[in-house]
Amino acid sequence: MPSSERLPPKESALFRKLLKCYEMKQYKNGLKLAKQILSNPKFTEHGETLAMKGLTLNGLGRREEAYQYVRRGLRNDLKSHVCWHVYGLLQRSDKKYDEAIKCYRNALKWEKDNLQILKDLSLLQIQMRDLEGYRETRHQLFKLRPSQQASWIGFTMSYHLLGDYETANIILETFRQSQALVENYDYRNSELLLYQNQILIESGNYEKALEHLTKFSAQIFDKLSLKEAMGDLHIKLGQQSLAVPIYEQLIKRNPENVLYYAKYFEAKGITDNGSKLAEYKKFQESYPYAMCPKRLPLDIAFGDEFREIIDGYLRRGLRKGVPPLFVNVRSLYKDPEKTSIISQLVHEYHQNLNESGHFSKDDCEQKKPVEPASALLWTLLFLSQHYDFLRDTDKALKYINLAIDHTPTLIELFVTKGRIYKHAGNPVEAYKWLDEAQSLDTADRYINSKCAKYMLQANLITEAEEICAKFTREGISAMENLNEMQCMWFQTECALAYQRLGKWGDALKKCHEVDRHFAEIIEDQFDFHTYCMRKMTLRSYVGLLRLEDVLRAHPFYFKAAKCAIEVYIRLFDKPLESEKTVEEIDTENLPPAELKKLRNKQRKAKKKAEIESAQAAQAASKKEQHQKSKQQNPQEADPEAPQLDELIPEKLERPEDALEKAIDFLKPLQTLAKDRIETHLLAFEVYSRKNKILLMIQSVKRARKLDSTNPVLHACIVKLLIALTEENVNNFHPSVKSVVEKVRTELSGGKTASALNDDFIRKYEKSVPHLLEGAKMMYILDRSKKEEAIKLATSFDMENACIEDCTKVFECLRCGEFGECEEQLKTFKERCHKRFKYACLFSEAKSEENHGDEVPDTQTANS
Amino acid sequence: MNIRCAKPEDLMNMQHCNLLCLPENYQMKYYFYHGLTWPQLSYVAEDDKGNIVGYVLAKMEEPEAGEDSKHGHITSLAVKRSYRRLGLAQKLMNQASLAMVECFDAEYVSLHVRKSNRAALNLYTNYLGFKVLEIEPKYYADGEDAYSMRRDLREIAKQLSEENDAEPISSNKSSHKSTDHSLHDGHCC
Repeated sequence: MPSSERLPPKESALFRKLLKCYEMKQYKNGLKLAKQILSNPKFTEHGETLAMKGLTLNGLGRREEAYQYVRRGLRNDLKSHVCWHVYGLLQRSDKKYDEAIKCYRNALKWEKDNLQILKDLSLLQIQMRDLEGYRETRHQLFKLRPSQQASWIGFTMSYHLLGDYETANIILETFRQSQALVENYDYRNSELLLYQNQILIESGNYEKALEHLTKFSAQIFDKLSLKEAMGDLHIKLGQQSLAVPIYEQLIKRNPENVLYYAKYFEAKGITDNGSKLAEYKKFQESYPYAMCPKRLPLDIAFGDEFREIIDGYLRRGLRKGVPPLFVNVRSLYKDPEKTSIISQLVHEYHQNLNESGHFSKDDCEQKKPVEPASALLWTLLFLSQHYDFLRDTDKALKYINLAIDHTPTLIELFVTKGRIYKHAGNPVEAYKWLDEAQSLDTADRYINSKCAKYMLQANLITEAEEICAKFTREGISAMENLNEMQCMWFQTECALAYQRLGKWGDALKKCHEVDRHFAEIIEDQFDFHTYCMRKMTLRSYVGLLRLEDVLRAHPFYFKAAKCAIEVYIRLFDKPLESEKTVEEIDTENLPPAELKKLRNKQRKAKKKAEIESAQAAQAASKKEQHQKSKQQNPQEADPEAPQLDELIPEKLERPEDALEKAIDFLKPLQTLAKDRIETHLLAFEVYSRKNKILLMIQSVKRARKLDSTNPVLHACIVKLLIALTEENVNNFHPSVKSVVEKVRTELSGGKTASALNDDFIRKYEKSVPHLLEGAKMMYILDRSKKEEAIKLATSFDMENACIEDCTKVFECLRCGEFGECEEQLKTFKERCHKRFKYACLFSEAKSEENHGDEVPDTQTANS
Repeated sequence: MNIRCAKPEDLMNMQHCNLLCLPENYQMKYYFYHGLTWPQLSYVAEDDKGNIVGYVLAKMEEPEAGEDSKHGHITSLAVKRSYRRLGLAQKLMNQASLAMVECFDAEYVSLHVRKSNRAALNLYTNYLGFKVLEIEPKYYADGEDAYSMRRDLREIAKQLSEENDAEPISSNKSSHKSTDHSLHDGHCC
């Protein structure tokens, strides 16, 4: 029996009041009540009261005391479900979900049918994706409360998530039949039917699914989902002719949906491009304002037909002045024939617009009305974007300058000019043009964001923050506000800038901030577990669960994680001195004037830090208010959320075990970004530093499966073969040893590492990235071949090379991958400068400013 | 360009687009709240690489005091500056409005727009049939006033009930002044 029931009536009443106070969040009153009970000498050690006192303290943010009291209470009454439940609630509020689950389970041992505990347990189980456990708990809840709707829905959901569609459908069907009489046709009913249909579709029983939709179509309000599902099911069931009108209706409803056209063709059995083009023509007539029927034909038309369609398309866009005209046709540049047709046409427009104001000679001869004056402007912009895309910087600049001369106030022109400089390798000139653009419309955040991004790419972090501050809340630093708003693009670009500047700690701080956003977004699910069951938006709820399972597959995570891993590897290779040593050396060896300067600097830094922390405190209180006013979350934010450790750059850049930290970022990539070869190449770099032969093998094998011709992969293979020394191999257990031997033969083809490398160099003699890796390995395998290796890496034909490849070669030479090579570096730089005259990196002027630190050698080939 | 109803996996990219384009930002949970309460009402426009270049984030509101009609509300609408003049904002809004009527029986849709945002005001009044209802003083965090605007959706509702179920309404027809030209600067809210 729980100890509270053994309390005399007075104390028992007080205890009940204490529970009530906790529920009502009247924590201070709660504490008074607890004190009243505990002050009775007979009950100073009363377990459940102590536990409740602890939980109440937690509500007041006094976490440490909370744990003390709850644990003491539990020790005094190990058989109380209340104590266990309370301990579980405390751990839950501390986000220690696994521990909380254990506590709830213990609580249930003493009170197996307690509804509240079962509900709490089920929430944690679904949050932690303990699907088997979730099903058991939902079953229990179902048995206890079969009359409640939530019992049925939860029970269904638990089977659905386990992939037992049949049982899920049976439960839901039984429930629906019992409900149909009571409930009116409403939104919730409509959602429930669509959820049931989703289960049927996922079970693969398309016939039944279609029958179900047909039967209930009148009760389903969400006509879009209904039609989309019906069209799809008809096609899956081979009833193409029935699908056709559905897709016609869907196109009518939304003629801008690309998928509908594809499905329409599938339903009509149209496979040849000629018929598709004819169909698109019909849709153009029916929906003259729609973009899709005009744009999609360009993908499937060729030759003269393409010329005719693109001619009309371009003229319309240039006449009207559509800024995204170029980006909308950019994907056609994959096809060299289409590229040349577009180029030819737009040059003709340019010439004719200059001569007569028409797009073509024909128009002129037929005395058609002249085009608007702006047509020339948009044509010039298009030509500039065209040449920029082809990386012909001179021509791109020529046309953009003509455009700016024509109309000096169009923001888009400055953005394009900036982009041309960015592509030409001059981030400083690039950001200046974006800054110009930004100053022309300070009310537009998009242009402001672009400007900030360019500033970050020029490593101007303070400037970028100042620009962003024009749109962030007052009274809080922009950095702080952007973090609060989960502005990941900004934080990632910051991290990359810090990485380029060699400010490792700051870079890591930004990467960790991004990682924390992902953790927070995973936490965000919690409230929706109960919310969605109430709202009956179960399809979206399942969508949410599936999304959260793979959340870190998002490119934002990849970018930040890659940066963090590279930085941690750098910090492993060259650890920083401890903070103390740095300071001691500084002060001891400095002349008095310098020392004074340093002290001043330190004072300033301290002051700045103080201001920042004051701002942060202010921000925190504002944030609360802001959230209260702005955000109507289904349940209020958890006031007891644990405080995360502050991210301090000086500490982050001196990790105890840099490689383990790197692995923390690597793990999600290995499960969620396993299709990206960079993941495995990064993994190889980490594991090779840990000398984990088997994991190195695993990384190489995974990378090979994705792209066996990747240049960096070759370097990994050579390094692996080097690491497979007799000693290393012999240390393995015989059975493992034979596997390793097999892999070695497979990777090397029985050759030595240098023979393999020579083959590789011969095979890819025309590819700069391959030659670079081959040369690097040549030098690693035999230091005496330094000159030969450098020659191999640098003597490619500059005219056909791209700036990215040249940059990579240059960085490798500069950061000593080929040992000392000042002379060759200088020569190479001169050659690069001649070829890429706009690029800062190769210019005579001091390029070090923007590229302060060496690039770690883990940078992978496809950047 | 592709316009479709937003899915849970679009919500993060909508947030990204919002952060790039607009001063009013929200944490992810608020996007989830929309996507999980009214999954039919939010739409995205994506480019051929699947990047979101515009979106509308919408919800339903309980009837105002003294009214008994439910209505929709546009929480946020944005189109990247580099994708203007394609009519994306208009197309997104029409899709969302149709869903409001169809799924939630909305009689009108409301929104707020900065007093200084003349381009957006132009879009709403001249292309989408919105009317200014009143000025809400100091509606925005920075102290700026907002126009509170409404668009009557009963016309859409009427067309829906007239048309046979097998003949859903065309979103093109539903906007009175749907034109193909110069929809520039469609950002707002």
